[in-house]
Amino acid sequence: MAEEINYLIPWLVFAVPILGALLMPVVARFGNRIRDYYAISTTLVSAILCALMLPLAIAGESFHHQVMWIAALDITAGVLADPLSILMANIVGWLSFSIMIYSLGYMKGEENMTRYWFLMVFFIGSMQLIILSDNFLQLFFGWEGVGLCSYGLISFWNKDLKKDYVGTVGEKAWGIPLAFSPTHAGSKAFLMTRVGDVSFLIGILTLFFFSGTFDFVKLSESHGWAVDLAQSGLLIPVALFIFGGAIGKSAQFPLQEWLPDAMAGPTSVSALIHAATMVKAGVFLIARIGPIFVTAVENVATIMPFFEFVAWIGAITAFLAASQAMVSKELKKVLAYSTVSQIGYMMLAFGVAGLTSDFVFAYTAGFFHLTSHAIFKAALFMAAGAIIHGTHTKYMTEMGGLRTKMRITFVAMTIAAGSLAGIPFLSGFWSKDAILASILGVESSLTLISLYAIASITAVMTAFYSFRMIGMIFFGKPSKYIKKMESDGKHVHEAPVIMYAPYVILAILTLGIGLTGPTVEGFLEGSLAHHLEHSVHMEIHHHEFSLNRIAVSTSIIAVIIGCGSSYLFYIGNKMSPNQVITSIPILSKLQNFFENRWYINSLYYIVFINGSLRLSKFTDKYIETGTLSKLNTVVPNYSITSSKYGGRFDRYVVDGTATRIANLNLFLSRNIRKLQTGIAEQYVFVFTIGIIALIILLG
Amino acid sequence: MSLLLLQSVFLPIILAPVVYFVGLKMGKNVGWLAFVIMLYSTGLVLYSGIDSDGSLFTNNRLETYSWNPVGEFGLHLDGLSFPFAAIIMILSTTLAVYSMPYMEHRVHEEFHENKKKFSVDAMNRKMALYYSLYVIYAAGMLGTVLATNLIQFYIFFELMLIPSFFLISEFGYGERAKISVMYFLWTHVGAVSLLAGILTVGYFGGSFNFVEIAESGLPNSIRIWVAIAISFGLLMKLAAAGLHVWLPYAHAESPTPISALLSPAMIGIGAYAFLRIFVFILPSIYESIVMAITLWGLLTMIYGGLMAYAQDDLKRLLAYSSVSQMGYIIFGMGSLYYLGVTGSVFHYVSHGTGKALLFMAAGSIIMQTGGIRSIRKLGGLGSKLPITGIAAMIGFLAIVGVPPTNGFQSEWMIFAGAFGGALESGSTSKLIIAALALAGTPITAGYALLTMRKVFFGTLPKDFENLKDPSPLMTIPLLFLCALTLLIGVFPSVITDNLIPLLQSTFGGMT
Repeated sequence: MAEEINYLIPWLVFAVPILGALLMPVVARFGNRIRDYYAISTTLVSAILCALMLPLAIAGESFHHQVMWIAALDITAGVLADPLSILMANIVGWLSFSIMIYSLGYMKGEENMTRYWFLMVFFIGSMQLIILSDNFLQLFFGWEGVGLCSYGLISFWNKDLKKDYVGTVGEKAWGIPLAFSPTHAGSKAFLMTRVGDVSFLIGILTLFFFSGTFDFVKLSESHGWAVDLAQSGLLIPVALFIFGGAIGKSAQFPLQEWLPDAMAGPTSVSALIHAATMVKAGVFLIARIGPIFVTAVENVATIMPFFEFVAWIGAITAFLAASQAMVSKELKKVLAYSTVSQIGYMMLAFGVAGLTSDFVFAYTAGFFHLTSHAIFKAALFMAAGAIIHGTHTKYMTEMGGLRTKMRITFVAMTIAAGSLAGIPFLSGFWSKDAILASILGVESSLTLISLYAIASITAVMTAFYSFRMIGMIFFGKPSKYIKKMESDGKHVHEAPVIMYAPYVILAILTLGIGLTGPTVEGFLEGSLAHHLEHSVHMEIHHHEFSLNRIAVSTSIIAVIIGCGSSYLFYIGNKMSPNQVITSIPILSKLQNFFENRWYINSLYYIVFINGSLRLSKFTDKYIETGTLSKLNTVVPNYSITSSKYGGRFDRYVVDGTATRIANLNLFLSRNIRKLQTGIAEQYVFVFTIGIIALIILLG
Repeated sequence: MSLLLLQSVFLPIILAPVVYFVGLKMGKNVGWLAFVIMLYSTGLVLYSGIDSDGSLFTNNRLETYSWNPVGEFGLHLDGLSFPFAAIIMILSTTLAVYSMPYMEHRVHEEFHENKKKFSVDAMNRKMALYYSLYVIYAAGMLGTVLATNLIQFYIFFELMLIPSFFLISEFGYGERAKISVMYFLWTHVGAVSLLAGILTVGYFGGSFNFVEIAESGLPNSIRIWVAIAISFGLLMKLAAAGLHVWLPYAHAESPTPISALLSPAMIGIGAYAFLRIFVFILPSIYESIVMAITLWGLLTMIYGGLMAYAQDDLKRLLAYSSVSQMGYIIFGMGSLYYLGVTGSVFHYVSHGTGKALLFMAAGSIIMQTGGIRSIRKLGGLGSKLPITGIAAMIGFLAIVGVPPTNGFQSEWMIFAGAFGGALESGSTSKLIIAALALAGTPITAGYALLTMRKVFFGTLPKDFENLKDPSPLMTIPLLFLCALTLLIGVFPSVITDNLIPLLQSTFGGMT
């Protein structure tokens, strides 16, 4: 029962938003309202087109269409719609659409909305381009396209007013400020992901040399390239270099530092780009190339070090970012650190996939977590945007007691946070559980124990910071700031429908997936397994869904410890967190260490930014201006001063050249004397005639 | 229609006096005449590239005329010369329009600076001179890349150097007399060295015609000297690190439309000559110097980039950025692999559109702010000069090598070539050099973003409240080049489809 789709559909999924964005300045001339609806309708069309491809994914089949692109190199452009890309495209398409609706409310009254819509819609097109590309080169167009839009949207408030800064102005670590202006944060994001892209390019260009193609399908069909790469000892390096791109884009250790500061952009942007979609591009890349590498090598053990590396980077990042989320005061930054941490989980799952005998199980776990995280994190960000919008502060310490004032937001956000924490019967519970269970299948016991330990501890931390956030925002007494606001006559109230509808729907979806968790997981596994078996020719172990007891008990214990302690401190207010921290010196040291982002950010600034600026100044002072330039000016100065004509040396050159050339010219030679007394312009003229005559005479 | 290329080169030169005399009457509007002349030449060049089966830009065209006693006078459009010729002509045509408002402004400013009294006659004389030099300059560049004979090549090489010298000395900024002399001296030191090399090659090689020169005729003892003389001359033109000192002065103090031609179009001709002479005529000499060229390219990339950080003058920053970008081109030429050389040629195109956009955007800022070039004094201009801002952004993206601009296509080819060359020769040191070079690319991204931030974002200085984008005569050329940059980025075949087979047959292609 082969499913058929029109070949244009996958192309249009990204072409509609990309071309639609380019027309935005034109449409904007017809009025703001038309422009807004136009922007949203392009994303709706794209989302509907994604939905049209779903039957293909359900059947576990794929569709591939190519056109010639660079004929001389036999490079094609094409779309690859297989279950992985179709499912991903739907997640992105529909989440984007809901966030676009939310933007209508959130960005109401902002200036420069044409720019905003352009970047958002162009972003969505580029993201779909990443997902549906059938080759690395075309994927890279989308890859950089999303990066550019991310840069533009982080720097959206580009006047760099103090109120738009991310971080607290004045706070420093090792003398490096921890607060960034929007344009600074945008440039930082661009530059750091660029470092990852360099690595990505090294990887794919080397791969191109060995395989002669960028095409995913060709790479998984013939495996000669893998044999050659392995023989020259470059197989693992190439895979790791490609992974470097994913590290940058998905903000994994050691390139995680750009994402927290990306919160300088509007919250709708954070929800779309820095939580739900773009930062998943790296994860998607690994999901795309992982199976290719596994099937290309004859013995899976050859490629295992790569997967082990991926798993470790994921685990380290998950822990590192969770530790920072526990101490952050800014609401959006908690969510940002949490995103980094949760993406670490996904990386961990995809890494583990190559370390177990059951590739599809861990692979599905990673993809399942990607899906559930995309939904609940988008909901969390949108809710956070509504709260920040309502309270005019980004600090959780300035909130408190909002549960009665923003009831709908409270309920929706608590469901989403519960899912993040891994509370049973919410989507995050199942997906995180699946990841933990897949780690238990790792063959080497040392790796198994250490990865499992890190993942479990991180689960405790996640539960803790999720409810610390809920507690600080919605429970306890209203802060002084809120009280002052209220006494000034400004009341905190619920967001408008157009804002809360999107995140309420996503919260319901979270609940829905939570209640049907095993079915969703079974569906994903069936679809992805069918594809991997038939298109990538992977050996698959089919099995029925069953809960892994160890994993389930671990995650429930983690939730109890994490949520319980945050309940004590932030919801029940049985203990004051500050008192506990000040009474135990090691805790306050740790808090300081986490708040200063493990000093990694400062280290990068000192070594790379200040280092290269200093090198530049040094070279300029001693080599460029100090030596070369002096040498350079001495020569013409000397010529000018020693020339009889002094400062009129240029005239001398003019005369000389013109005379010499004109001498060759019989027609004009009689007039030379006359011309020499003229002005510079005439010499030029004569010179020109002379050149022409010279050529004609010689010819 | 057998004289297509001959017309495209000589029509502007022959019409230069007409431009001058018409200019005396018409003033700045003579720019339209120059524009039409340039447009006609551009059309001829592009038309010559269209194949008889209708496929775009894959045609080769050779026109030869006997030219005793030097040999044959020929004009040759092939995969290698087409990208150069097309970009030279497209930029010259575009800038002819852009120059009208800009140069009028510049001349006014100059009257004011020198406290001379303004008169319509004086203005007309200036504009007439500008445009007559301009068309010769453009034709000189075109002739250089189409030449089929070493002597012919050298004559055109001079024909582009000399008008550019006058354009700087007559219309430049700052200490232009001194700087134009500096420019003249340095480029002529290079040119003389090049001439020495060329004459030696012609003498021993038995002919000055490219196709007839026999490399085997060159005695071993002089080969190294020929290599040094020619590469010194061309690297001087390309502003390789150490030989670049003249460039920041010349490019920063030229009138801005000329900077936009000098910086991307003219200095890159050094790369064309390098490839034409070494790869096609002296391949074994080329092989012996590639390692030095690669390292020099790497050094230039990094050095130019670092210097760009230290600049406060917008135009000087762009000039150093050109030095750095020439490093990429030099680096690709040293890859000894068809893809790397393709990347170099392609990068000439990308840098051509990208850097022209940047200089034109800088010109727009200079004109609208009343001559402010110091980055420190600028800020927040994005909201006031949106088209200029977008153009600058796209220009920067092209030189950083970000898709969908053409810069990405050229950069991946350069580095694919570097890796390919290294892997093919099995040399680990080459592999490390290639990785190092790629690791140096964030330097470009760094100064590009920093400059965008300082100039277009942040707080707007108070005096700039009423600024706006310049007239359509300046913004339309900007938008046109933006579109071209993106189109070539998405459809790179227009450059590669004729170039790659040519280079594959020279280097040995993909297996």
